[in-house]
Amino acid sequence: MASRPRTLTFGLPRMHKEAGERRDFLPSLVGKLADWGVDVFVEGGIGSGMGFRDQDYADLSPLVHLVTHEEAFRADVVLTLRCPEEAEYMTMRPGATLFAMLHLPTRPERVQSLRDLGVEAISMDSITDDSGRRLVIDSRDVAWNGVEAAFDALERTWPELGDPGRRPVRVTLVGPGEIGKHGVEAATKFGNIERAARFAREGLAGVEVVVIGRNLSANEAHVRHLLRQADVFVDASQRDDPSLPLIPNAWIEELPSHAVICDLVVDPYLLDARPPTVRSIEGIPQGNLDQWIFMPDDPAWDRLPPGVPTEHRRAVASCYSWPGIHPMPCMELYGTQLAPLLEALIRAGGMNGLHAEGSYHERALHRASLRAWVGLD
Amino acid sequence: MALSIGLPRMHKEAGERRDFLPPLVSFLDRHGAAEIVVEDGYGSGMGVDLASYLRASDRCRVGSYEECLAQDVVVVLRYPGRDVVRLLRHGTILVSMLHLQTRPERVELLTELGIHGVSLDGVTDDRGTRLVQNVEAVGWNGVREAFKEIAKVHPRFTHPSRRPLRVTCLGAGAVGAHAIRAATRYGNPRLREEMAARRVPGVEVTVADFDLTWHENYMLTRLEQTDLLIDATQRQDPTRVIVPNEWVAALPQDAVILDLSVDPYDITVDPPKMKGIEGIPEGNLDQYVFMPDDPAYDGLPPPIETKNRRLALACYSWPALQPRACMEVYGGQIEPVMRVILERGIGELDDRTGSYYERAVARAEVSRWRAVRGR
Repeated sequence: MASRPRTLTFGLPRMHKEAGERRDFLPSLVGKLADWGVDVFVEGGIGSGMGFRDQDYADLSPLVHLVTHEEAFRADVVLTLRCPEEAEYMTMRPGATLFAMLHLPTRPERVQSLRDLGVEAISMDSITDDSGRRLVIDSRDVAWNGVEAAFDALERTWPELGDPGRRPVRVTLVGPGEIGKHGVEAATKFGNIERAARFAREGLAGVEVVVIGRNLSANEAHVRHLLRQADVFVDASQRDDPSLPLIPNAWIEELPSHAVICDLVVDPYLLDARPPTVRSIEGIPQGNLDQWIFMPDDPAWDRLPPGVPTEHRRAVASCYSWPGIHPMPCMELYGTQLAPLLEALIRAGGMNGLHAEGSYHERALHRASLRAWVGLD
Repeated sequence: MALSIGLPRMHKEAGERRDFLPPLVSFLDRHGAAEIVVEDGYGSGMGVDLASYLRASDRCRVGSYEECLAQDVVVVLRYPGRDVVRLLRHGTILVSMLHLQTRPERVELLTELGIHGVSLDGVTDDRGTRLVQNVEAVGWNGVREAFKEIAKVHPRFTHPSRRPLRVTCLGAGAVGAHAIRAATRYGNPRLREEMAARRVPGVEVTVADFDLTWHENYMLTRLEQTDLLIDATQRQDPTRVIVPNEWVAALPQDAVILDLSVDPYDITVDPPKMKGIEGIPEGNLDQYVFMPDDPAYDGLPPPIETKNRRLALACYSWPALQPRACMEVYGGQIEPVMRVILERGIGELDDRTGSYYERAVARAEVSRWRAVRGR
């Protein structure tokens, strides 16, 4: 494909969110884009959070160019993992395509803004196969990174964890869905394969994971019983009604004092919304890529909205973006998932060449487009 | 040159009812198949009449089994067997679950006959993830059948005063993940809704993986508290049993055992290969439920111990229990495979620079598969 006419340009701006956001697309993906014959404009400093140098990208191909943040937004296709701020994508030219996690179904104001700008868009989180299965998703790392952090915290709160004479570790997990299923596997491995191997070498007993779904999670007596026995409590639930907590703060008193709460749901507090959204486990802080472990005396509890009960506290592992904890494997996965989709987009010559009845990946892209979302196609 | 397609039936046990569905025929037509020959009776096991296939394409016709085998491309889910493969002509493309990795004799046969085998179980993405598989149905179908049996023997299955049902799942991998989710829903979302509406306590699933299943005291205590024991393990060493038959005695008398791993016994090797739970029979689509007094137990040869028995479920192909749903999944998954074969031709595939699915199909084609492994 190297001789293909250069019909598209790609811009890869960096994500200037919190300091802990270290993710950028890897040289392997940028190299593929260049191999497919498109000019790629990457923002200087790309990959630096993961130890890459500008030269690692520039050396890939003459088609790779180092540019400023603003210049990266002037390409035909702007590719970035998290949705940029409105002020950033407002600089895109009409007809260009924003390719990012746009969450169109829950962001009507963003949909309108993009339409007003005449910008095309493909929402990574809406890219699905013909059966509705997401093709760009890192639910495994949500679960594994979150459970790993919880066991990191447990090593601090429960020194007995490393005692060869101890009983099996007990984890209770609510919500065996897409994230929860990975959470179960991660929990059986102490959240980390190396830790599991180390414990196995030392002859330590493994982990028993008790899993319940909605038909038991509302049973207060049973949940309190499970909480009393849990060393780690993992919330991977999906609530029907986000205005009600799954675990009221009062129930947390049942957890042993050394227990750790692992929050894989990471719903925010939106108390002003109607109806309001409260956190699934009431009275725990929400973490981010700058801090994701909170001991009971952490000042983060004091920053929770007034009126949220926080009387009962345990160590908490919470992060709104668990995959970002380990940026490299996260971006390797996203790069692999995105590569065939970007290849299809390039082969189609951009948005105008995508057809709802096209190839497997064309169809997936089409379904995820702003055009399809607003019913223009 | 446009290729013709043959869709023969699978003449295995009577319970094998699966055939590809009419939408695949329509797809093959749209992507340039010269002719599509379906065997007489195709789809009948799922209640799909031949007219539905003929309506799907003007280029579809009904033929004999032999006529199906005479086409350029023969598509059949399960490997049709050595004798049938010998009937294929040189250069035929055989698209099927060939399991080349564990069946070296098939590799040799296909190579000797000049047949382009495309192994559906070998169609993988660049990371090695299978693109044609149905592990979800393994978990869900097995668990659903197990709960049907529990409902028959549990006196208060639907009563709001009963305690939560207790499932123990051995293994937390791909099959286990689906089994766990299915178990929290009785393997049946509708039943789950009905039970929830009647305020019947649900299901608690306890998962133990290999770093705990060795712990005899833990396991015996666990088994004593188990209503349904699921084997969803993937053992590195199939000669090592996870639950010896003597441990089965710890299960309550009315407990049910579900085998999702479907590892076979093989006593012709030393040490013998065993099932993860010792002493349960091997099932198939004709029989997959075994009461403790079923003669199948007595048919298991020494050194397999069968003294302790519970109602057991085992089936080598759990997805086939819901043939239509199964083939909807497989049909959708093989469409892009067939498109590559029809549009690119098997000889032109490039496993390095081709498109995503071209690379995937190339990796699964027997001559390239063989070349990569230096055989």
